[in-house]
Amino acid sequence: MNKKLIITLVILALVIVGVLFYSNQPAPETKKEEVSVSNPDTITKVNMGTIDSLDPHYQYDERSQEIYVNIYENLISFKQGDMTKFEPMLATKVPSDQNGLIQDKGTSYVFPIREDVKFHEGGTLTPEDIRYSFLRSLIHDREGGPLWMLYDPLFGVGGLADITKELVGVEDPKTLTAEQSREVYNYLARTIEVDGQNVIFHLPKPYPPFLSIICHDNGLTAIMDKEWAIEQGGWDGSPETIAKYHDPTKEVDPFYDKTNGTGPFKLENWVKGESITLKKNDDYWRAPAKVENVVIKMIDEWSTRKLMLQRGDADIVYVDNQYLDQARDLDNVKIISGLPRPYTGVGLMNWDIVSEGNPDVHSGKLDGKGIPADFFSDLHVRKGFVYAMNYQAFVAEVMKGEGQQSRGPIPEGFLGFDEDSDLYSMDLDKATEEFKQAFDGELWDKGFEITILYNSGNDMRKAAVDMLKSSIEGINDKFKVHVRGVQWATYLDKLIAGKFTLGFIGWGADFADSHNFAVPFMRSDGTYGAFKGENYAKFAKDQEVDELITRAAELTDPVEREKIYQELQQLCYDYATDIYLYQPAAHLVMRDWVSGWEYDPIIHDGVNFYYLDK
Amino acid sequence: MLSYITRRLLMLPIILLGVSLLIFSMIMMLSPYERLSTYIKDPAQLKGIDDVDKLVVKYGLNDPWYKQYGRWIGSVVKGDFGWSESGGAPVTQAIKDRFPATAELALFALFPVILGGIFLGIFAAVHHNDKWDHISRILAVVWWSIPTFVFGLIILMIFYGTLGWFPPGRLDNWAMAVVQSADFVNYTDFYVLDGILNLDFAVVFNAIRHLIAPVTTLAILWWAFIMRITRSSMLETLRKDYIRTARAKGLNDNVVVYKHAVRNGLIPVVTVAGQMVLGLMGGLVITESIFNIRGLGHFMAQAAQQLDYPAVLGGAMYFGVLLIVINLCVDLSYALIDPRIRLE
Repeated sequence: MNKKLIITLVILALVIVGVLFYSNQPAPETKKEEVSVSNPDTITKVNMGTIDSLDPHYQYDERSQEIYVNIYENLISFKQGDMTKFEPMLATKVPSDQNGLIQDKGTSYVFPIREDVKFHEGGTLTPEDIRYSFLRSLIHDREGGPLWMLYDPLFGVGGLADITKELVGVEDPKTLTAEQSREVYNYLARTIEVDGQNVIFHLPKPYPPFLSIICHDNGLTAIMDKEWAIEQGGWDGSPETIAKYHDPTKEVDPFYDKTNGTGPFKLENWVKGESITLKKNDDYWRAPAKVENVVIKMIDEWSTRKLMLQRGDADIVYVDNQYLDQARDLDNVKIISGLPRPYTGVGLMNWDIVSEGNPDVHSGKLDGKGIPADFFSDLHVRKGFVYAMNYQAFVAEVMKGEGQQSRGPIPEGFLGFDEDSDLYSMDLDKATEEFKQAFDGELWDKGFEITILYNSGNDMRKAAVDMLKSSIEGINDKFKVHVRGVQWATYLDKLIAGKFTLGFIGWGADFADSHNFAVPFMRSDGTYGAFKGENYAKFAKDQEVDELITRAAELTDPVEREKIYQELQQLCYDYATDIYLYQPAAHLVMRDWVSGWEYDPIIHDGVNFYYLDK
Repeated sequence: MLSYITRRLLMLPIILLGVSLLIFSMIMMLSPYERLSTYIKDPAQLKGIDDVDKLVVKYGLNDPWYKQYGRWIGSVVKGDFGWSESGGAPVTQAIKDRFPATAELALFALFPVILGGIFLGIFAAVHHNDKWDHISRILAVVWWSIPTFVFGLIILMIFYGTLGWFPPGRLDNWAMAVVQSADFVNYTDFYVLDGILNLDFAVVFNAIRHLIAPVTTLAILWWAFIMRITRSSMLETLRKDYIRTARAKGLNDNVVVYKHAVRNGLIPVVTVAGQMVLGLMGGLVITESIFNIRGLGHFMAQAAQQLDYPAVLGGAMYFGVLLIVINLCVDLSYALIDPRIRLE
């Protein structure tokens, strides 16, 4: 027995020694001075979360966007590191009034298309590919997807369904007949014209954010190879087949896991939920990328990500704010932080709460044991809440200084943001004053009881709600605030059903224009504005909010536009429409051997690997 | 015995139907909007939705439950378990993709865990009440009390963070590139086995290197459990008359313990080992998360969190089959260990 045991142990020891010495990967040294660049040809990034789809016209999430940015290209892009300047990409010039490529009083945009650009699968880029890609994207228009951004400037509507309804009286484009499809197609196609080597877009009216929308970073206008796309089973280019190709699910989308762009990297392998590998495109029309491979791994566990960074097995890792201090303690790691992120975090107030079957309004009446449906329609209630929020503490303690207090829906870096604008700060005396005037003093006498929800797992939102509770309950003994964490599914249910009372939520930029913030927060039919009910819609109508937003989007003079956005910001302040809480700062944590990175606020912690080296 | 096995296997579809109905009815208690969170995973995705109800209709979430269940069972009959949003693939494909990682880990963990645990249990029982028994009992209590995520992280920090020996994941980048290359044939997606079959021993060793840390974590934690079961069962057996008789006959102590006592002492261990195999094959959420192994445990946890009900239902079917097959194996092994047990 003992002999057997000894033999077994010896074999086991030999296996371990073998594994350690013959697995071709000597362990990197841990001492700082001895660290050498590991895998110099490969950049490894470790992210959290998963990639939704590789179809650039489908994807609408940060993780998928990062992949698209490196594989596909658009007509134009932002100048590296500068969100205010464009440069040509697949077009050879950026249209402007000066170069005469913006014509017809700002309604026609002419893009001369680059020649000799090759797709990864070998096809050559033609102006027809541009036209096909835009039309395919417009027809595709999946429910919940990003196409509303393009429908607005090109047709002044929210999506394909609006056009089919107006044009042929069909509510669901999936039920279009061939004849109806042809009519709708003609309507869509007249906006995009191919003229020799040029592609011309015809807009119904001037729309200054148009260039930001079709710019690189936005997958919805990425360019595909028409022939290849048709071969793979994508839209066949026929005017009569809109119904078949509209709003596909991922299961039937041929580009869900197949790519063919013109970008600096091509897809090598995608192991869903685990990793994606990109390989350098040697035939790239610009100088090829500096590294051969990019590997993006998805690891949810922070400790694992941290150890990989420490060992040099990861070059860039995703780090939550709360772990930034731990990352700072690591050797040979650089942290670029304090980068303004175009994002607004807000405490959304529901001006017209659906009370039926809603325990969060308690009695549902102004009787001290609940809140009425129109609780937040009262300006003094809103102001009371807004003055009760401890903004400074939130930014300093909860965000660890990685951000700033919001001044309204429009974040820093965008037209209309004014660093000298009026700003709320916590003032419990003013809050008291406001609450005393609410509902003609009745609220102060009777008190109220409210439940505010947050989606569990989101510690920042929980901290914000806890801060409100602590301040408000301190103002009057009769004020009771309950805080309840619910799963995201329930949170979503409450939002959609109009049953939330006050909910913290955020919005990140889709494109670099203030319009992208004014619409969702302020317009009565905006993504969040619509959740706030009829009373808010009435307010928006009285204050001409919707008209102001539309007018700002059509003005070509930036000075005039800025005035309107400032006016809208001021409205939010004066009427305390919501609790505009924070604009976070972005950061990127990487090994110090990584060079060439510059900040792109639209993809923020996503990386355009083209510029990177190590 | 054949009829016993057939009877048990015939129960399978009925049990699976019951399980799926149970899970389905639980999911149906949520509102259609709550179930929509499978497709809208965070607020950012609300941006492009002008009418949420269209999405509800698109995914058929407001249909009566029997229609939704009928749709599901109808496609299951055709072998289609639906699309898993959290897996980014059809459910069967998502399970198939993750099965090799879980099974490879289970296979490597199984033998060290069971054999090591049994050996330690016997060792403690044989040294009943002496210092070795006390030491092993204390260690068992301590080990069993350590949560997996703490122990796993300690192992990872020491053997990867400090020593750099055993990295997370299933393979290093270079080995992954080899495995994904056209020259390498993926027969089973068990990297150790595929490496051997492709005669690429660098891949074999690399895969083993990645398995050592999670296997060690599992082994040490489970040893404590198996050891305690084996010890108490062995102690009981060692007090039996026939053992005393064997000893009185002057038999060698090793023969008494390992030949006569162990067989009887192992019955409860087999029951526990069966559950352990089930746990390992079903995936281990925490171990897989810490060591970045894309296995079934992590997948199922994500699916449940995201209310990805096609994946949850598909996973339940997988577990159901696994449960019945493993329990059957356990029953059969009773008869193998103790011939007095007859399966009727």
